[in-house]
Amino acid sequence: MIRDFAVALAHYDAYLNGLWNTLWLSAATLVLASLAGAAVAALMLARNKAMRLAAAAFVDAMRCVPFLLFAYLVYYGLPALSLQLDSWACGLIALVIYHTAYMAEIVRGAWTNLSREQIEAGRAYGFAGFPLFRRIILPQLFFASVPVIGNQSIYILKDSAFLMIITVPELTFAASSVQSTYFVPFASFVIAMLLYWLVTLGIEAAVKRVELAAEVRRG
Amino acid sequence: MKPSSFRFRMQVRSWKTLAVVAAMLAIPALGPAQAQSLQEKIKNHQPVVVVTEDDYRPFEYIENGKPVGLDNELFQLMKADAKFDLRQEIIPWTGLLAGVSSGKYDAAVTGSLINQERMKAFDFAMPVAANMHKYLKRKNDNSIKSIKDLSGKTVGVQSGSVLFARLPELQKMIEKTGGKMGKIVQYASYPEAYQDLANGRVDYVVNVEIGLLSVMEERPGVFEIGQPVVESPSYVGWPVKKGNKEMLDYLNDFLRKVKANGKLEELQKKWLKTSFKNLPEHVEPNF
Amino acid sequence: MPYLPFLLQGALVTASISLVAIALGIPLGLALAIVRWQRIPLLSQLVALYVSVVRATPAITLALLIFFGSPSIGIVLDATTAAILTLLINTSAFNCEIWRAALIDFPRDQLEAARAYGMSPGLAFRRVILPQVWRTSLPALVNEMTLLVKASPALAVIGIVDLTRAASRIGAATYRPLPPFLAATVIYMLMVMLLVVAQRHVERMVRERYGTG
Repeated sequence: MIRDFAVALAHYDAYLNGLWNTLWLSAATLVLASLAGAAVAALMLARNKAMRLAAAAFVDAMRCVPFLLFAYLVYYGLPALSLQLDSWACGLIALVIYHTAYMAEIVRGAWTNLSREQIEAGRAYGFAGFPLFRRIILPQLFFASVPVIGNQSIYILKDSAFLMIITVPELTFAASSVQSTYFVPFASFVIAMLLYWLVTLGIEAAVKRVELAAEVRRG
Repeated sequence: MKPSSFRFRMQVRSWKTLAVVAAMLAIPALGPAQAQSLQEKIKNHQPVVVVTEDDYRPFEYIENGKPVGLDNELFQLMKADAKFDLRQEIIPWTGLLAGVSSGKYDAAVTGSLINQERMKAFDFAMPVAANMHKYLKRKNDNSIKSIKDLSGKTVGVQSGSVLFARLPELQKMIEKTGGKMGKIVQYASYPEAYQDLANGRVDYVVNVEIGLLSVMEERPGVFEIGQPVVESPSYVGWPVKKGNKEMLDYLNDFLRKVKANGKLEELQKKWLKTSFKNLPEHVEPNF
Repeated sequence: MPYLPFLLQGALVTASISLVAIALGIPLGLALAIVRWQRIPLLSQLVALYVSVVRATPAITLALLIFFGSPSIGIVLDATTAAILTLLINTSAFNCEIWRAALIDFPRDQLEAARAYGMSPGLAFRRVILPQVWRTSLPALVNEMTLLVKASPALAVIGIVDLTRAASRIGAATYRPLPPFLAATVIYMLMVMLLVVAQRHVERMVRERYGTG
């Protein structure tokens, strides 16, 4: 078994390459899905009933669909629409669209839970428009959603592994590639598992940092 | 409140580390199950298990829920002939060779190719086929007419296969004509690669000619076979874990028998469209 | 659609493996949560480690590790057992945290009252704690069931012909992958929605029988 780990670790560059791709995909998804999610959340709270229903339907639909199925639909659906994109682009698009729905739900939840008193107090003190948003509303939104967004980013990280099936060379794909060439499956996948765990611990530590900052802020 | 909870957290962290270290130290103690020899298994009435891939035409694949193909038919003959409990498991290619090398399976009855890297971990029974690797392209793709045109094009190939391992030979061939190898996409199995070839995501797929002929028959008019992408043929052989002489002898005895009674040639003609009359019993590939 | 029976067979495989994993995962999660709640030395740290690692592991990586990695450590599993084990290990880690949250929030005064009445810990757990704690945990447990069904396509990589693999096979045979995948998506959505409807039904029943107290 030690020999197996030695064989697997000798190909550390494959794992690092896969890990880098995983991190890149996850980070890009987090940023893009947060922005798109905020936009969809705005639609969900819009005055126009049609927009509200469309946004809600999108969010509900994405939350009922397994991510791998959605990735397959994007992977095989885009060529059918004459859009010839490689597996990377398809994977990223699938991740972003899918997690936009979840982010929209998170943003909407944070928005509706905003403390009315703080905003009214801010208005009473003369804050309005953009400064009101930047100094009073946004910090509240941010600190309220960070733990949930941190949680969601772990889901994004785990969903990225499904993309190995559509040949995206992320971490699990790298582990599978090494083990099928050198016959060290246990060692290879344990290494991958530990790498996912380390990244998750990092995310959880970062979230704790922000939570501490929020506590300090609240006084 | 604060100081005592802090101390507890310190305790927990060191306990956690202890647990991690304990868990890690336990791993080297684990190892593959004691590989039992064929005789021992037969004596103890334990099943002998061979493994086959689930989707690799025409060697082995599933049709209407039943395993068919050259290897599956040969296995049926083996099973009918065996005087002990001989079983078959059908799994994706990803874990097939690793399963043999770890002792989970006694042999693989599959269309695997023989190369030097594999011979370090496996012994192979006498080959059942020999084939050149060729490329497959879309029939309506007129931009590819020869090896030279493969420069910069995307290729699809099965992950963990000798087809993938021998791509450097193709790379040399392309570079000799002044071109460059394009992107390589690895698939878990060939049906997915052929699908992506059809929808345009990859420009050509590399497989043994027998496999390509099979997909041409399956989907007429969609694809076309090109030139060889290697200098010498690859041999198809059944692997056993290196050193498992008993299982190797058993497989070779069976293959000699079906060769002698003509059954092997009949099945080769049926599934591979050609019979291989002069295959050596042992090969030493130079790749 | 001529391939519908094949798809439905796959759906049956998905449903049955999921149901077994769900049924075993709920009590297993409770057992793990109790170990942590009771702070049993060494075991509770091991459970914490297990939960932390498993919750961070993608389902597909876990499935590959369990099915293809197990022979290297001397364990021989067939594909179906490996599939159930994968989903079970995954869901037990999440269920552990769900049960544990409910147990931690359980009012101390009830525990003390039970002890004052001379109830043994086992009896107190069965008659006082569990009936209330399962009601608190129910929404999160059902949510985890939907997450399990949504993670089950990972099993396709270890050769299980579940709904996803069936759709993939049909697509590879016909070279028209969208129809089977769309059909499979609809079937998965139906399964998830069924669980959600069942949860609302059970919540209503619980509310009517026990009140919101």
